[in-house]
Amino acid sequence: MESFNLVLNLDEIERQYPENSLDYFKDKKLCLFKACLEKYFPGVRWGIQDLLEELQLNISMCVNQSCCSGTFFQRNLITRAQFSAINERNLNEMNQVAEIVLFSCNGCYNSLLRGREFLKIPEVKKKTNKILNRLKKKGIGQNYPHKYDILENLNLKLLHDLDFLYLIRNDVLNSLKFDLKDLKVAIHYGCHYLNLSRDKRNVEDYIRNKTKLDELVTLFGGIPVDYQERESCCGWGASQLLINPKEALKITFNKLKSAESVGADFLVTPCPTCLYTLSKPEYRDKMYKWYGDKLDIPTIHLNELLAMLRGCEEERCITLRRKTPRLDEIFEIITRE
Amino acid sequence: MVEYTDSDWNWDFYKELVDDVEENKNIIQCISCGKCVGDCPATKVSNFNIRKIIRKVLRGDMSVLKDSDIWYCYLCERCKRVCPKDNINIPLLIINLRNESFKKGYGPRYNDLRKYVEMSEKFLTNGTVLEDPLEGGLPPERIEELNEICNFARIKYVFKASKNKTKEKKKKKS
Repeated sequence: MESFNLVLNLDEIERQYPENSLDYFKDKKLCLFKACLEKYFPGVRWGIQDLLEELQLNISMCVNQSCCSGTFFQRNLITRAQFSAINERNLNEMNQVAEIVLFSCNGCYNSLLRGREFLKIPEVKKKTNKILNRLKKKGIGQNYPHKYDILENLNLKLLHDLDFLYLIRNDVLNSLKFDLKDLKVAIHYGCHYLNLSRDKRNVEDYIRNKTKLDELVTLFGGIPVDYQERESCCGWGASQLLINPKEALKITFNKLKSAESVGADFLVTPCPTCLYTLSKPEYRDKMYKWYGDKLDIPTIHLNELLAMLRGCEEERCITLRRKTPRLDEIFEIITRE
Repeated sequence: MVEYTDSDWNWDFYKELVDDVEENKNIIQCISCGKCVGDCPATKVSNFNIRKIIRKVLRGDMSVLKDSDIWYCYLCERCKRVCPKDNINIPLLIINLRNESFKKGYGPRYNDLRKYVEMSEKFLTNGTVLEDPLEGGLPPERIEELNEICNFARIKYVFKASKNKTKEKKKKKS
């Protein structure tokens, strides 16, 4: 299989389109991967969708795409072959409607890459094929669409929203109505972005910090602040927060406390699962009860922040479910004329 | 740390794990430097210690499958990143150990699995793990595909448990 690596080659695009990387995407069909948590945080979707529409890019949603199933794989509720089959099903479906898939969630992005990676193992590939063939056999009836194969020469490429926004940062900047007005921002990349794609034979790639989100925040007029727990996990930890909440929330607490103690006005993250963990009011209450400090530093997804900066209506940026006085204050500061 | 004698050493368990997941063979390169432990979020809040787990596996100590420790991993992949060796995939080893633990009947605590009932149900009836996505769930005929893929998977048993629970509730009400 030639196409194990589904990540869009960004260096190549920058080489081909040195003037404006956005040109590369102008004649491409883009698809937005539906992350489960978008329902909780609709601004995560609208933030990117509205921007892409304004930039007149060709975008669609894949109605037949399912959840990435990472949650179940990580807890051994499905096998590697079943996980890969779910991924291949999604890739087949998306391949029909798009050339590039954009991800607003670190977890989904990691799942799709990992599912393909497993197919390098002959045994897993064989089992995955068997599962997909079983679907085809049943497809002789009416129900199945008889079309799922492991696509050997898949042209579909995957792209994380953060990488995309960084690549077209000048066009993003031009679309903004407001700036961050020197607000101090604590950056949280999330483990499944931060710890991926490290080539240990390439010292620079292995050692260097990832800085795209820091650079975007600076570009938007904010000040990224360094804090001790910058690279630590949000506490979700593949559902550890559900299973061992007291331990997991200690990690969340340390992260938020560390950001607050250096004077950050809010945290920004490119992952809705991290956002869920770092902002859910019930978790904040539990942390207060267990660890004695009331932390009210808000957390905002990159796409939500983008929507705010572009002057979108409040309900299109941040879900009302987690409105707090501090979050309102940030919104008010950013959108002040 | 458990002290082992030479007679405790055997490779059967390691070979079993490598048979199942070939990539596990790379843990033989572990130099016990402890970078994984130092950077691990789970280690900071629990007894989870990956160096100890690898040591047990390499010694052939299958008691590791009964340890609750293996269920504390956050699968954040930090260890994989900071490990000075090229191809040691600790998160995958943990998933493999958990699988073996399941197969041998030790598994996670029953109460832990119950946390997945609702998510499993959502996935197998709607194609998502939470509420409907913004465009709605998968059409019913496509849901059948997911059910077919997940045949004989543990997620199905968790789902069945949830259905039984709903039936019981209905019975009680009536």
